[in-house]
Amino acid sequence: MAEFSADQIEDFKEAFGLFDRVGDSKVAFNQVADIMRALGQNPTNKAVKKILGDPNADDMANKRIDFDAFLPMLKEVDAMPKGTVDDYVEGLRVFDKEGNGTVMGAELRIVLSTLGEKMSEPEIDALMTGQEDENGSVNYESFVKHILSV
Amino acid sequence: MLLNETRIASYFQIQAMIMGCGTSIETENQGKPSAADGPSKNPSPALTMKAAILIQRWYRRYIAQLEMRRRCTWNIFQSIEYAGEQDQLQLSSFFTFMLDNFTHLNGNGPDLISHLLDSVVEPWTEEGRQAKYEQISVPESYTGPRLTFPLSTTDANNLLTAVKEQKTLHARYVLQLLHETKKFLKQMPNVIYLSTAYAKEITICGDLHGRLDDLLLIFYKNGLPSAENPYIFNGDFVDRGKKSMEIVIILFAFLLLYPDHMHLNRGNHEDHIMNLRYGFTKEVMQKYKTHGRDILKLLQDVFSLLPIATVIDNKVLVVHGGISDRTDLDFLSTIERYKVKSALRLPRCSLEQLELGAGTRQGRAQLGSPYSQGRASRSTRKRKGYLARQSSCSSTSSSSSSSSSLCSPCISSLNTPRRNTPSPCNLPSPSGVLQVPFLDSFVSIAPPEPTREELEWRQVVDILWSDPKIQNGCTPNTFRGGGCYFGPDVTQNLLEKHGLKLLIRSHECKQEGYEICHDGQVITIFSASNYYEEGSNRGAYVKLGPGLVPRFFQYQVSRSTRKLTLQQRVNVAEGSALKALQEKLYAHRSELMTAFQQYDENNTGSISIGDWAQVVESVLRLDLPWRTLRPRLARLAPDGSVDYESCFEDVSPGQPVPQVTPNFAETLYRYRTDLEIIFNIMDKDNSGLISIEEFRQTWRLFNSHLGVDVDDHAIDEMARIIDFNKDGSIDFNEFLEAFRVVHKLDVKEQ
Repeated sequence: MAEFSADQIEDFKEAFGLFDRVGDSKVAFNQVADIMRALGQNPTNKAVKKILGDPNADDMANKRIDFDAFLPMLKEVDAMPKGTVDDYVEGLRVFDKEGNGTVMGAELRIVLSTLGEKMSEPEIDALMTGQEDENGSVNYESFVKHILSV
Repeated sequence: MLLNETRIASYFQIQAMIMGCGTSIETENQGKPSAADGPSKNPSPALTMKAAILIQRWYRRYIAQLEMRRRCTWNIFQSIEYAGEQDQLQLSSFFTFMLDNFTHLNGNGPDLISHLLDSVVEPWTEEGRQAKYEQISVPESYTGPRLTFPLSTTDANNLLTAVKEQKTLHARYVLQLLHETKKFLKQMPNVIYLSTAYAKEITICGDLHGRLDDLLLIFYKNGLPSAENPYIFNGDFVDRGKKSMEIVIILFAFLLLYPDHMHLNRGNHEDHIMNLRYGFTKEVMQKYKTHGRDILKLLQDVFSLLPIATVIDNKVLVVHGGISDRTDLDFLSTIERYKVKSALRLPRCSLEQLELGAGTRQGRAQLGSPYSQGRASRSTRKRKGYLARQSSCSSTSSSSSSSSSLCSPCISSLNTPRRNTPSPCNLPSPSGVLQVPFLDSFVSIAPPEPTREELEWRQVVDILWSDPKIQNGCTPNTFRGGGCYFGPDVTQNLLEKHGLKLLIRSHECKQEGYEICHDGQVITIFSASNYYEEGSNRGAYVKLGPGLVPRFFQYQVSRSTRKLTLQQRVNVAEGSALKALQEKLYAHRSELMTAFQQYDENNTGSISIGDWAQVVESVLRLDLPWRTLRPRLARLAPDGSVDYESCFEDVSPGQPVPQVTPNFAETLYRYRTDLEIIFNIMDKDNSGLISIEEFRQTWRLFNSHLGVDVDDHAIDEMARIIDFNKDGSIDFNEFLEAFRVVHKLDVKEQ
């Protein structure tokens, strides 16, 4: 496992504090995945849940964790194999039926809302806004750029 | 796995349906006309699943990172906003300081300042005023609404049309409207009791802050106020936004039209001293050049006459800010609310009888500097002086009989050491003992009992300024400089004490326009959408029916016809926040550089990230995630440390600054807003000009109050330089323009 530098840890700690809405220097279990993502990681919800010890829905909402307990979890996620930009493009190419660099927006919507770690409709709307052309197609290379430009 | 395969199968079913074909679940293409030559097979279920998960992961990461930026941006705006509110006290104490010292420099006495700040005994009777307003003539060319009193629905509709068409209501009608409103409000109690009988739903709106578009949107969505559609507007109608005057005109018109169904609570911005800083005073003076002062004077009275609280069905309490552990609705009902003209005008302290002699004046003059130095060295958010017990008053020698008997807050800053432990919200003086400056030493005396006036003032300030917090307890609201932070236990106690079940308040901007806390017992409702920046937040209003179950309605005013994407909104808000931060850095440049250089022992021009963050936080006194913000504010040197001079790179003077000492220029940048306010007050005839002598005196006073060392020669030189046409008067707008900063990136884009 690669170690984080002292500076990096300070950065993480500060960001962790941003998500503490209660003021007890902790965050809720159900925020952990998002904080990791904000810090540059890319875990699935399932992976995070496993690291948290497979808590039930109640625990996810109510249990809290402090930074010292969070940091090793972050390290564990950091050590996982990460996807690359190309993986992402390939993932979308799967849906490129005509091999012309575009996917059908409608198809993407259905896939994202019914498969895998399902996305809600508002999530999908936020994702797709401005991406579909007048035929409802999405040019996925620019789509990828859009997602990665944050 | 079986479940997934079933899902994938049905996915392909749906896909086939989209393609307009049959409902075969086979994975082969079903007659889709394929433009491509090659075989276009559907991917295997496993691959599809993998692709979906990958996209979802990446999307969630994208959103999380946007969310982090949004939170940072939000923190920046809020910190700067509240820091501004703290600074407001400095201005207020400066006015007090000016009042005391002006008599010495200008034999005529502090006419203007006191005119604006003190409650003047009005020479006119009510009837006399009414007649006076009626005599104001309205020109034939005026195309705006002409009101007749008592108002009719036609008048109200005309007003709505007029504001939509951007027509300014003539000063005569404004004065008449305000006069009638004042008469009406005088007979209202401090706490209004309403009922939702007759199955009526009451709509409660929060802060509007001069955003007319939001008010119009609410009326559009929810209907105009009427007997069937009652409203409560929970304070902060003015300041910050550009249409505060229009909002109060509309609100007051409906108030007079439907007195039983339209209710206005006072907010902390219904306060003439807050208005001086946050834009309402300026807006009025710009829109009403001749009658502006009269209008402001009348507004001062109207604001102080607004009711403090509303209670619905004896179950729901509606106040602007919040409560404290000593809030008492019964006591509140008995106070003389109009006496609390401003939360920033501290009540006369009972020490005014104390004879301190000339020593006080000398002591006070010295206090100017420790006050400001004390501020600089303090850690974030500790607000001295505001709640601390006032020590000496100015009524000492006979020559100052006309000056205020207010206690200057700047004195008390010496009394209060850093308070790390929360203390109850009564008159905080940690040792329970007053320190009073007497010649060169400090005399300790036991604090007298708070007067009735002080108790009333505190009750009102708590109601208008407090914020809820998560932890139990009640602590002074040091962030804002007034009121308390109240915990769930305080809420619980108050609700139980008065048999209530819900507290609805406003005062804090919330991203969704509303927020529920304290286990459902406190609702915050905020009605100014895009408060910090385009896209920063929604506005909301809440409706309560006889069941008293709240229903929330959200909205967002959007200037652009095309909806901004989430990312665009975050970008816009973030850009704005960062600019504000960069200006702050620039305005504190010399302090920051001094501190940076202390850490930079070898004079390399760079320091560690941690040190950089620490310096910036302690100098600017803004509690922000500086490490996270650093990449947007400063560059790294090749070795990974921060090149600290780079944080000043993107901001530069808008115009070549007259040759003055750096200290002077920086002070001007920092206090530009305050100076604007002061100059506007001094400019009696709204000509935009003040005399050189006035400028000199003001500047000297301001500096001595701040504790900034500027010698007289520099002041004179400055005055000479900016008197561009050498006629002895200064166009202060031009002067202030010279001290506006520009952002280099903006310039590049032009």
